[in-house]
Amino acid sequence: MLKVVGGFFAGIVVVMLLVYNFAGSLMFREIPSPFGVEETVARIQQNIQNAGNGWALSGLRNAAKPIEMDGGNVLPVLMIEACSTRYSGPILKEDSLRFLSNLMPCKISVYKKNDGKTYIGMMNAELIGSLFGSMVGGIMKKVSADQAKFIVFDASKPAPAMIKGTPGAASGGSGAAADGGC
Amino acid sequence: MLFRLKNILPIVAAGALMAAPAAFAAPAKPDAVTAPQLETIVKQKDATTADHSKFKELQRNFKTGPEVTQACLTCHTEAAKQVQHTKHWTWESLDPKTGQMRGKKNIINNYCTSPISNEKDCMACHAGYGWKDNSFDFTVQKNVDCLICHDTTGTYRKLPGYAGHPVYKRVEFPPKSGKFVEPADLKKVAQNIGLPSRSNCGSCHFFGAGANGAKHGDLDSSLQHPGKYLDVHMNEKGLNFTCVTCHATTGHVVSGSRYNVAAAVRGPAHIRGKKDESPAACQSCHSDKPHHESLLNQHTDKLACQTCHIPQYARDGIGTEASWDWSQATVMGPDGKPTASKDSAGRRKFDTKKGTWEWDSYVIPEYRWYNGVSTYKVIGDKIDPTKTVQINEVGGSPNDPDSRIWPTKVHRGKQPYDKVNNYLTVQHTAGEDATALWHNFDWKKAIGTGMKAAGLKFSGEYGFVDTEMTWPITHMVAPKHDALSCAQCHSKHGRLEGIEGVYLPSRDGSKWLDMAGWTLVLLSLIGVLVHGTLRIYTSKNKGH
Repeated sequence: MLKVVGGFFAGIVVVMLLVYNFAGSLMFREIPSPFGVEETVARIQQNIQNAGNGWALSGLRNAAKPIEMDGGNVLPVLMIEACSTRYSGPILKEDSLRFLSNLMPCKISVYKKNDGKTYIGMMNAELIGSLFGSMVGGIMKKVSADQAKFIVFDASKPAPAMIKGTPGAASGGSGAAADGGC
Repeated sequence: MLFRLKNILPIVAAGALMAAPAAFAAPAKPDAVTAPQLETIVKQKDATTADHSKFKELQRNFKTGPEVTQACLTCHTEAAKQVQHTKHWTWESLDPKTGQMRGKKNIINNYCTSPISNEKDCMACHAGYGWKDNSFDFTVQKNVDCLICHDTTGTYRKLPGYAGHPVYKRVEFPPKSGKFVEPADLKKVAQNIGLPSRSNCGSCHFFGAGANGAKHGDLDSSLQHPGKYLDVHMNEKGLNFTCVTCHATTGHVVSGSRYNVAAAVRGPAHIRGKKDESPAACQSCHSDKPHHESLLNQHTDKLACQTCHIPQYARDGIGTEASWDWSQATVMGPDGKPTASKDSAGRRKFDTKKGTWEWDSYVIPEYRWYNGVSTYKVIGDKIDPTKTVQINEVGGSPNDPDSRIWPTKVHRGKQPYDKVNNYLTVQHTAGEDATALWHNFDWKKAIGTGMKAAGLKFSGEYGFVDTEMTWPITHMVAPKHDALSCAQCHSKHGRLEGIEGVYLPSRDGSKWLDMAGWTLVLLSLIGVLVHGTLRIYTSKNKGH
C-alpha cells in the first residue's frame, strides 16, 4: 500500500516538474524569420490586413524605445497589435470573461537576438484559450488558426512598407480609433 | 490533480501575461529635445573674442563661395594653405607604414565606387569649390570652402551636380521632385561662423554613399541629437561632445582617421589639448587600464575598447547598408522605364540607376584582429575575379603586439570589373551627357568614359565581381551597463567564435583535459556511493 501511495505522489511530483519545465514553451512560440525586423513586421501586417475574419491592425509598439529613452540599449523589439471584433466581441460580452480583455489585442512580437537573426514570438492562443472553458477555447482555436496564417510569407512578393503607429488613430499604440481594431 | 492543474495554470498564465507588459511599461521620459546644439553655438559665440558680424570684410553681399573665402583669408591668412594639406582637400591619404597612397581619389570602394569622372556630383562633399574634372587647380586658395565646416546657421548646403558650390539660385532638388532648395544667404553665413558642430561634419559623414547612414554604420543623422543610449559621449543632455572634441585639430588637420587608425594605444590618459599622436583614441582620455576591476584591464592588451563598448552599430531605425549590388543597375521597371523602390523601413532598396541594396540596423559587428593598417585596392590594381575581392585588407594578427580584436562593419558589394585586364573599373555614372550611366543606362559607355578619365585601358568587356570592404567601428559608444557581458564572448558560439590565436575560457578547451576531469568526477561519485553503501552494510551487520 505504501508503495502505491508513494508511487502516486512521486508521479504527481514528476508531472508538476514537467509542467513547470515546459509550460512556458507550450504557452508561447518562437519562430525564426527569413527577413529582417522591419520586413518581417511589414509582411505580418500585410497578412493581418488580408486575413479577413474581422482582423485589423491595432498598433505597432517599439518596446525598446522606452529603454532607450532611459539611456539603455536593447536589441529591437516591435510588437504588432491586431484584433478581430468577431472574436473579441463574444468574450467581452460575458461578465465572467471580461478579465480576458488582458489578452487583447493579440500581440505578435518581432525581435532580433544576439545571433543577428530575426525571430517572431507569439502566444499559443489555442492552448491558453482551452484553459478557460469551451466557448473561449473554441474562439481561441480559430484565432490560433488565423495567427498561423499571419506568419506565412511569400518571398517572391515585394516587401510592403511597414505601417507605423495605429491605422486610423491619431497616435500610436492600441488607443485606437474605431477602425483601429478592437 | 488535473482539477488543480486546471485552476493553477490559468492563474499562472494570466499572471505571466499581465507581468510581461508591465516589464515593458517603464514610463518613457518626455522627449525634452530642446536645442542643446543651439545652446552650444550661443555659448561658443559668448566665449569668442571676435564677433564676425562686426567685421568690415564680411559686410558685403557675397555672390559666390570663393568670394567669401577671399574675405576670410584677409584675416586667416594661413587657413587655406593649411586646408590644402589635408585629405579633406586632396582626397588623398598616404599610409606612412606602407607608403601606399589611398584616399577617395585613388581607391575604388564598393559603394559609389569612384569620384573620378563624377566630380560634379561627388564634390558636394569636397571642402572646396569647382572640382569638376581633372583640370581642377589644387593650389588656388579661394577655392577652399570654409563655410561647409564652419557654418553655424544650418542654411549652407551643397548639392550634387554643382562641383562643390552651394546653389546660388533657387533650384528644384531632387530634379522633378517638387521640392526646392533656396540659396544660402552667404553674408549671413559668413558672419555666423564657429567651430564645426556635429551637423557640419555630419552633412557629409552621416550621408556618405548617398543615403543617411549608408556607409559607416556608426555614423548617421541620429548623432545630431543623440541620447545617452546611442553615444555616452555625444549624449545631447549629458557630455554633449561634438565630433571635434575627440577629433581635435591642429592647423586644420583633423586627428583620427580610418586610414590611419591608432588600433592599440598604450599608457595613461593624456590631458586634453596636449600634443598627442592619437587624441581621437579612447585611451587618450581613459588610459589603457580604465576599469576598476583588474580582470577587465587584463583584456585591454587583446581587445579594442570598442569591442565591448559598442555591442551593436547602427543602433537606430536609420540602419546602414549591408550590401550594394551594382549588377542590378540598368534593370528597367515593367513599363521599360527607370524605376526605384524602397524597403519596408522606407530605405532605398532598388534603383535602375544604382542597383539593389540591403539594409540592417542594430547590427552585430564582425570581429577581427586589426593593427590599424589597411591596405587598399587602388585604381589599376589587379584582382582575382574568381574570389571575393577585398577592397581593403585589414592588417593584424594575434602575434602582433599592435593588434587588437576590433569590431568591424563588412560591406558586401557586387561591382563592375574589366574582364580582360582584371581590375575594378571606374564608371562615369553622374551627369546628363551621352555616356553617363544614369542618363543612358549603358554600362559599356559609362565604363569607357570613367576609365579614360582615370587613365586606364578598358578592354570593352566587363563583368561583376563580389567585393568586401571592412570598416572599423568606433562611434555609438553605449553606456557601460550595456557593454558586452562576459558570456557573450566566453561561450562556444559567442561573439568571438571565429577569432583565432587566443585562448578564450569557456569557448576553448582540451577534449582530453575535459575527459580527464569528468572521469575524476565520475570516480569520486562512485567512490562516495561505494563508501556509503559499505558504511550502511557494515552498520547493519553490527546491529545484528
